[in-house]
Amino acid sequence: MSGFRLPGRGRIDTARPVAFRFDGTPLTGAAGDTLASALLANGVHLVGRSFKYHRPRGLLGAGVEEPNALMGVDRGAGRTTANVRATTIELHDDLAVETQNRWPSLGFDLGAATNLLSPLFPAGFYNKTFMWPRAAWERLYEPAIRRMAGLGKAPDTIDPDRYAATYAFVDLLVVGAGRAGIEAALAASASGERVLLIDEQAELGGKQLGEPARWPWLTDALQTLAAAGVTCLPRTTAIGLYHDGFVGAVERLTDHLPPARATGPRERLHRIRAGRIVLATGAIERPLVFADNDRPGIMLASAARTYLHRYGVAVGRRAALIASHDSGYRAAFDLAEAGVAVAAIVDIRETVDRTLLARAKALGIELLTHHVVSATHGAKRLVGIGVAAIGAKTERRIVCDTLLMAGGWTPTVHLWSHGKGALSWDAALGAFVPEGAMEQVTCVGACAGAIDPGHGVHAEALWSPRDPTTFKAFVDLQNDVTARDIRLAVREGFRSIEHIKRYTTNGMATDQGKTSNLNGLQVAAGALGTAAPQVGLTTFRPPYTPTTFGALAGIAKDALFQPTRMTVIDGWAERQGAVFENVAQWRRARYFPQGGEDMDAAVARECKAVRAAVGIFDASTLGKIEVVGPDAAEFLNRMYTNPWKMLAPGRCRYGLLLGEDGFIRDDGVAARLADDRFHVTTTTGGAARVLGMMEDYLQTEWPDLDVWLTSTTEQYAVIALQGPRARDLIAPFVEGIDLSPEALPHMAYAEGRICGVPLRLFRVSFTGELGFEVNVPAGHGLAVWETLWAEGQKHGITAYGTETMHVLRAEKGYIIVGQDTDGTLTPDDAGIGWAVGKKKPDFVGRRSLARPDMHLPDRKQLVGLLTEDADTVLEEGAQIVADPDAPIPMPMIGHVTSAYHSSTLGRSIALAVVAGGRARVGETLFVPMPGKTHRVTVTDTLFYDREGTRLDG
Amino acid sequence: MADPVTIAWAPPAARYSLRTRAPQGLPPILASAPFADGHALGLGPDEWLLLLPDGTPPPVIDGLHALTDIGHRNLALLVEGPAAATLIQGGVALDLSLDTFPVSKATRTVHDGVEIILWRTGETAFRIEAWRSFAGHLHAALRLAAGDL
Repeated sequence: MSGFRLPGRGRIDTARPVAFRFDGTPLTGAAGDTLASALLANGVHLVGRSFKYHRPRGLLGAGVEEPNALMGVDRGAGRTTANVRATTIELHDDLAVETQNRWPSLGFDLGAATNLLSPLFPAGFYNKTFMWPRAAWERLYEPAIRRMAGLGKAPDTIDPDRYAATYAFVDLLVVGAGRAGIEAALAASASGERVLLIDEQAELGGKQLGEPARWPWLTDALQTLAAAGVTCLPRTTAIGLYHDGFVGAVERLTDHLPPARATGPRERLHRIRAGRIVLATGAIERPLVFADNDRPGIMLASAARTYLHRYGVAVGRRAALIASHDSGYRAAFDLAEAGVAVAAIVDIRETVDRTLLARAKALGIELLTHHVVSATHGAKRLVGIGVAAIGAKTERRIVCDTLLMAGGWTPTVHLWSHGKGALSWDAALGAFVPEGAMEQVTCVGACAGAIDPGHGVHAEALWSPRDPTTFKAFVDLQNDVTARDIRLAVREGFRSIEHIKRYTTNGMATDQGKTSNLNGLQVAAGALGTAAPQVGLTTFRPPYTPTTFGALAGIAKDALFQPTRMTVIDGWAERQGAVFENVAQWRRARYFPQGGEDMDAAVARECKAVRAAVGIFDASTLGKIEVVGPDAAEFLNRMYTNPWKMLAPGRCRYGLLLGEDGFIRDDGVAARLADDRFHVTTTTGGAARVLGMMEDYLQTEWPDLDVWLTSTTEQYAVIALQGPRARDLIAPFVEGIDLSPEALPHMAYAEGRICGVPLRLFRVSFTGELGFEVNVPAGHGLAVWETLWAEGQKHGITAYGTETMHVLRAEKGYIIVGQDTDGTLTPDDAGIGWAVGKKKPDFVGRRSLARPDMHLPDRKQLVGLLTEDADTVLEEGAQIVADPDAPIPMPMIGHVTSAYHSSTLGRSIALAVVAGGRARVGETLFVPMPGKTHRVTVTDTLFYDREGTRLDG
Repeated sequence: MADPVTIAWAPPAARYSLRTRAPQGLPPILASAPFADGHALGLGPDEWLLLLPDGTPPPVIDGLHALTDIGHRNLALLVEGPAAATLIQGGVALDLSLDTFPVSKATRTVHDGVEIILWRTGETAFRIEAWRSFAGHLHAALRLAAGDL
């Protein structure tokens, strides 16, 4: 036998060699190999360093349960993936992997010094040692610990890959394409039902792929399924099972291809709704817990069989078996027949099935019953083991390079548990199995406990003739948890497996304890002196195996991260060089810099232009709700604080909306279009919320009202024209509306046409200037805007953005809900108590306004602030104090809600909420900010045009 | 070979939201039916979307009702071809197989975070209505997914 590849065996294609790099070393495998089988074929067993002690580790398994062989896979810039199990990496040309958690190299790792110091690292060591000083935990201890005891490196550049997603609906979903899963799919295949069969491996077949005698059956079965129209998805992992037949599954589309040939999305998330679900997820073999059971070359017996039969690889030259269960014998026998020397079978049981004894004898294998493996030898590869009869002091050394472990089988019940399916203890299996029924889910095959690999015993850590402080018997190989750690946790008072798990971290690594949970449970039960089922089982949570964030994000990245809503005028603003800001999902023009203007300069210019001539502003994002029906006025009367019933058609009113708690939720102007029709506006960010709230009340509280609500936010483009020249500007284009102040005064509404298209015209102002809001069907918005813009050149028109809008309204003391209010302000607090209808019988929030608390004189009230230094613009959110020399903690009596430089006034202005603020007008208060505490004078909120004459142009 | 799926913007249309508790001559919820020169889509127990040729004035409706012009609120995409259902299924959590989503079925639902009205106009043809400012996102998402079919 040259090398470790066995000619004529396995499902690999040795005629198609595959070149790959392992820690930079070029190696060759064959098509059909996993990275793990290719490494073994090259005689490589040392594949990683352990998490905590940096001990050399080899392959334990052949599937997703692998705890040791975690690789960093590099598929080019931004395409690095950490912690990928070598057993799940399909070999392909140009595959480049790096081992992890070692420095400077896998063979010589300085971190292994922690192994020598390991008596210092018991369970809970980090919690106990690095407690003080507390601040050092975040800055010093945790980063240092993470560097030393870490897994792979997280990628530090943006993932350039794409991820797809879809929904699937089937009558039957079968998870797992081993024997039981395929049989379940076959049984349903003739029914005409929609059947979906998924499996995490590259090839369908499960453990049958490691049973050459079953290959003809497998081929036939898969052909039958294909002919019957059963959808079969390999490389698809069911990551979670949820209620009502919902399963999340991730299909890996390109990772098995050379990077140069990988096109399209990397993975696809299948969100599957199934009428019935069959879980055929199989079982995972358990390792055994004994002295230094983690050296490279020590692996699961079933893995050795899989490598032999599926990949044609001998896992060593001279193997031994340590078994507590019959199933391991198959591996020893198969290896012997394949020409691998089998040095011994060590079985902890006193008696073993006679046919196994006879077979061992026939193959010339020494069988040691009632023995344990008492020691293992070798650093980077096993070179021998010590064996001892149970209860005896003497040990004997056996030379071998491979030790197989057979500790029985654990049904893979993760998905069943995700759905909160019940489990019961199966003493014969030494494991938990699904119990009872769960919705539409059933378990079949090994997953259901139907395992027939013979008999075994299920013990905790093996007896040892040695002092247990002189060796490590690992339970969780990925998190480096030993039997002693678990016993220590019990000695320190932990009783529940959930607490023991968290204290020791057993089962908390990326493998979620697939090979360690039950051994940990047995050790804990032994230490507690109770039976395993009394100690309990930890909860399985999705995902079953590590899942990329990309698969969960799907298409929601880059430009499709979430919808960016743009108005019909957005493109025009972009061409004008607007700077944008996001408001809810909308993108809004914030200001329109000219030349080299910064924001302050642009806003100052825009503000002056509006006050001096006319500004044009895109207000399309304002929420709009059309309220229609004979009870429209009654409905608004109940929703809003203001009275609506007497509002005449053709008139507008400012509306204030409270929650049941009496606090301000939203505001906006509404126009009565007809007796039974209102055009209500809301804030940009509140549009959906307000409509939802209105529908909630309408459908649940007042279903008797004859009124219907329709969102018309996007029906209309809204062009605000504000400034003394606004009327002159629009007049030439408006038909059918008398624009004179007498016919269309402030807060009036009229319908007509503008530029030949239908017009809903509001005479409203959010600037204090003469103002109109031109509502036209959205599809005409840009054309109307451009016409007005062109005409406006004669009038000195200036486009302005949200920042200027904010300054202009603040000069007039108009609030912005959500900026000047924070969900705790009543109408009176905000200085708009006038908007509350005093004679109305009820409205949303009215009862709360009657609470005594709502009338306390020291409630925070909205006021104006003027800084002593006119050039200082306060920070929004800055706290306000009455006495800056008061001892700390200094009483804070309010905070700044809005602050701007006002070019109109030639100084800064601010709005703030201050306890008892209105009674403090004229007082001096203080605003501590970084570097300086500013003196401010309390004023009312009206800074400009106190008489309001400018509203009429 | 013809494209497995095509995605095109629908021409302008007149659209009205019709609300009434006395639906006469209107389809039931989740169904569509011819209405005047276009179609009515039953979106709720008291809600219909009237899709009519561009320029159609508000139709006369008898009895207590509310009619609101939403002709410019929506834009529509026409998704057609053998892979149309597969494409849309990528973002819609309703079963779009012909058994459960037959021709002429219409419903308000969500496509990858965007509220839509999905109307099956043929075995391999759908019309998707979305609010104007969401339509660009919807279009981009469908085009991206179409490239992966």
